[in-house]
Amino acid sequence: MKKPLLQVNHLTKKFGGLTANHDISFQVFEQEILSVIGPNGAGKSTLFKLISSFLRTTSGEIIFDGNKISNLAPHIVARMGIVRTFQETTIFKNMTVRESVVVAHHIRAKANLFGYFLGTSTARAEEKEFARSADEILDFLQLSSLANEVASNLPQGHLRALGIAIGLASNPKILLLDEPFAGMNHDETMQMVELVRKVRDRGVTILLVEHDMAAVMRISDRIIVLNFGEKIAEGTPAEIQENEQVIEAYLGKEEDLVGLYTC
Amino acid sequence: MEQILVNGAYLGAQYALIALGLTLIFALMNVMNFAHGQMYVLGGFVTYTIYGQLGMPYALALFVTAITLAVVGAVVEKFLFRPVIKRSQRDESTMLLAAGLGFFLDAVILLVFGEKQRGVPKLINGVFNWDFRVIMPYDRILIFALAVACIIGFMLFMQYSKTGRALRALAQDRDAAQLMGVDVDRYGMTGFALGAMLAGIVGGLLVTITGVNLGMGGPTSTKAFMMVMIGGAGVIPGAIFGGLILGFMESILLSTLASYGDITYLVIFVSLMIFLAIRPNGLMGKPWG
Amino acid sequence: MGLIIMQNKKILFTALFLIFVLVIIPSLIVMTSRWDLYYTLSSVALLAIASAGVWLTFYIGRINIGQGAFALVGGYVTAILITKAGFSFWLALPFSGLFAAFISVLIGLPILRLRGVYFAMITLVLTEVGRLSALALPITNGAKGISNIPLPGELSFAGITIIPDFASFENPRMAFYYLASVLMILCFATLYRLSNSRLGHLCRSMQQNEELTSSIGVNIAAIRIIIFALSSFMGGIGGSIFAVMSQSIYPSSFQVADSINFMLNCFLGGLGYVFGPMLGTVVLYFGWDLLFQTGKYQMLIYSSLLIISMLVLPNGLLSIRLSGRKKS
Repeated sequence: MKKPLLQVNHLTKKFGGLTANHDISFQVFEQEILSVIGPNGAGKSTLFKLISSFLRTTSGEIIFDGNKISNLAPHIVARMGIVRTFQETTIFKNMTVRESVVVAHHIRAKANLFGYFLGTSTARAEEKEFARSADEILDFLQLSSLANEVASNLPQGHLRALGIAIGLASNPKILLLDEPFAGMNHDETMQMVELVRKVRDRGVTILLVEHDMAAVMRISDRIIVLNFGEKIAEGTPAEIQENEQVIEAYLGKEEDLVGLYTC
Repeated sequence: MEQILVNGAYLGAQYALIALGLTLIFALMNVMNFAHGQMYVLGGFVTYTIYGQLGMPYALALFVTAITLAVVGAVVEKFLFRPVIKRSQRDESTMLLAAGLGFFLDAVILLVFGEKQRGVPKLINGVFNWDFRVIMPYDRILIFALAVACIIGFMLFMQYSKTGRALRALAQDRDAAQLMGVDVDRYGMTGFALGAMLAGIVGGLLVTITGVNLGMGGPTSTKAFMMVMIGGAGVIPGAIFGGLILGFMESILLSTLASYGDITYLVIFVSLMIFLAIRPNGLMGKPWG
Repeated sequence: MGLIIMQNKKILFTALFLIFVLVIIPSLIVMTSRWDLYYTLSSVALLAIASAGVWLTFYIGRINIGQGAFALVGGYVTAILITKAGFSFWLALPFSGLFAAFISVLIGLPILRLRGVYFAMITLVLTEVGRLSALALPITNGAKGISNIPLPGELSFAGITIIPDFASFENPRMAFYYLASVLMILCFATLYRLSNSRLGHLCRSMQQNEELTSSIGVNIAAIRIIIFALSSFMGGIGGSIFAVMSQSIYPSSFQVADSINFMLNCFLGGLGYVFGPMLGTVVLYFGWDLLFQTGKYQMLIYSSLLIISMLVLPNGLLSIRLSGRKKS
């Protein structure tokens, strides 16, 4: 097997007396699509925020490409190549689609802030390159026709694509997707599945957190299941579907089951 | 020492009452009411007019003050804050509107009541004296008791009345309250009126002790903001704690720092800044309000 | 083609503005002998500089009611350096701005993490702390303040006089007018350049969503500090010249009301427009002055107009022009 790109070792996160993640370990390999699933409150989003360093770990460590990244500032982790997307409410509301994607190229910038201010030749050349790259990304995600639309006017599905576009602009090695299928109907979900696959085929490793079982089964190379903050299973979609503990975890929470299969 | 504590409690009760109104408005509308101090001053002047000038009973004066300020609060909410909140997504707009309203109320007070310091006849004469350890004029004790009664009354109202429950629901989660069928507009107005009324009542209470003048508005607002921030913006018990803490700090520091010159407020303000830098949500606040 | 026309238009506008401020206004003053206007206009320019600073903090999504404190710091540093340490004004001026910026970095490190009402309140308290410190500290001379600050002396470099001694002018007020307006122009040029540069785009991203901005690799803490320091620098510069122009500084020179006015200037002009704070300052200052004739109704009319403008023009005065253009 390929060498792991991201290693999570014995990760624990406590909020006061509450343990949100307990002793979680797993690995993410290059160019795979790995999904983290689990009932509500299983600690998925906490795990997500720990990996993108939006939260500090209580114990354990996260290793990326051989470097320890846990508890670094979020922008540094992003610069190393781990970029998260947000749920669709988190966007630059008053910017156009194109502006958002252009500004998201910031990671690639070599000129410093003073250079931008003065408009040095490096900075100007970069601006041109970013604009070109932004157009390429918009084209790739089929957002070109909406490039000059203000982000807050976009419908939900396109907002999510915009989130991915912003993520791609920073040229990530791993893209963390936060519930990319939430609230989508069947057709939209299938389109999104295709989109995520295309992104992976660009060479980006995908780690996603999701509720929608059907989509997860369809898209993932491997799946990790969390319950009550602990990892209870790991395997291919086929293995997970057979896993008794997983079935129990899901059956034990009836309202989630309803949520899972009705949307 | 006893004297300091008694002074602290006396100050704290009034402060808490002012802070309650401000925090209520903040919790309901997410508006930092810069005009709160002016509402307090207006309350003082209304009581002054009815009790001091017209010679009517104090209880009636206080009642009319409460009604007047409630009406002012309701009108201001309906015709100024509500439209601006509906149209603007930025916090700044309501804050600036409140600042503008503060100027406006100052102007109205100046025109109607003038800029002179005004006082009213004492409610009761005499001084309570416990062995020279605690000395407190009777009228202050009465005002303290009234302030405490108002605080308790307000808390009971919020806890048990239908309106109070609706207001709490609204403060906790605007969208959820709306889904549950709470008439958001109506209760927003009620809450604003109630907040303004509390400010007015404090004005009406304190005019009997300290008198009232036009310049008191701004500093009162600043103090009220501090209390609200200490307790945690938008948290009702927090406002009471904030008021008490500021009252005791003032009373203690005024007596202990007296020899160092006029630095009490500097010390209070600086310690508040340090406290907020470490604990931005105050004692009991939710993250980011 | 369109781009070139736009650029030419911009250059034309800039040139017209410069001619208006630096040539037409002074000539008008000379013709009408309204020498007092120099003082008024210099004040407006200084207030516009301080307001521009407040606009910058708005630009990263922070409501700043602390500019009064930084203007006060600037004023006192200048006053102390000139009267007690014998500094030349030309050295004290940049030093005052830098000192205000330095203080703002110290304070900003902990408080810039706060947002919304929390940041607004703590900066409001900061203005009070500024005033109370000026009252309490020995070096600031308490409530009496520092008066009799001498006029700026000569600025020379390698024996060549760049700016002559202000006292040598027949009318030092004219010299202050040029000083204040040139600095204001520089200040707004900086603002314009900043908002049209990549740094400006990053600020706008932060204004809309700090988390997302940091997720695309932007060091938001650093940008916040830089912008806040720049903002306070402008406050310090404004306060410094103000102190020298009025030849005195008191704890009450800049207080909460001034901090709020700086904010109102930005808001009235329009938070979305670089030149908003300048226009807002001009309109509010002269609006207040014009209303002087209404006597005791001055405050009432002023505040009513303010409230009405917020109801009718929530995006500021400059939004009229732009929305008009969009329709056509």
